[in-house]
Amino acid sequence: MSRAANDLGSAGLEVEYADMSGCEIAASDIVKLTHDKLSTEEVSASVVCPSCGAVSLFIGITRNSFEGKKVVELEYEAYIPMAQSEMKKICLDVRQKWPSVKHISIHHRLGVVPVAEASVIIAISSPHRSESLEAVKYCIDTLKATVPIWKKEIYETEDYSWKENKECRWAESRQK
Amino acid sequence: MTTEVLVLYFAKSAELAEVRSENITVPHQVTSLQLWEELVRKHPRLAAIRDQVVLAVHQEYVSLGDELLILHPGDEVAVIPPLSGG
Repeated sequence: MSRAANDLGSAGLEVEYADMSGCEIAASDIVKLTHDKLSTEEVSASVVCPSCGAVSLFIGITRNSFEGKKVVELEYEAYIPMAQSEMKKICLDVRQKWPSVKHISIHHRLGVVPVAEASVIIAISSPHRSESLEAVKYCIDTLKATVPIWKKEIYETEDYSWKENKECRWAESRQK
Repeated sequence: MTTEVLVLYFAKSAELAEVRSENITVPHQVTSLQLWEELVRKHPRLAAIRDQVVLAVHQEYVSLGDELLILHPGDEVAVIPPLSGG
């Protein structure tokens, strides 16, 4: 039967687009969900291109506290196939808004992420810096609003809480 | 006419329902609100998140309301509490 939606059998998704810039390598979208520790080097290397003068990067890192409580770790889960398709939609949006963007790479970690480690890394390359800088901000803002991933904040007291992004339309903070 | 669909529960909803996935039988055509109410009937503790939940049907978000869903055997419906990725 179909694989469970939390099975990471096919955790990565790479899509290539026809490239109009004259550069040899086709523009690509790399969307990856993994339980492995994320590597900034790997993510940024995946978008480097000789025709691009800029690579912009965002790294989301587990903080050690929330409202005075000491956080030990975060634990992430995802509706994997839909998280991949929503991240792919974000890449399409980025390409519509910033057509000069070259490569986009979004890596999100699942499972336990200890304090000070990265839970998400986004890298985008473009010929000039303003497009990739703006596109990275758009990516993380939209990811927080639309991608079906959830995190549990686990405190020193062994208490925990499911977080809610204020960007999410149906979060409590957005209710009337 | 009824059909069997796979319901997936995530995050807080999985804790309240005490299950990660299950098959349920629902009418072939049902509103998103009726579908939710069927889930609450099976797992009453889900009612606690009524105002902070949407569904995902065919991997598209659907708010709880009058939207009519056409369901086929084996379709996936997911219960989606507020997102917290990133």
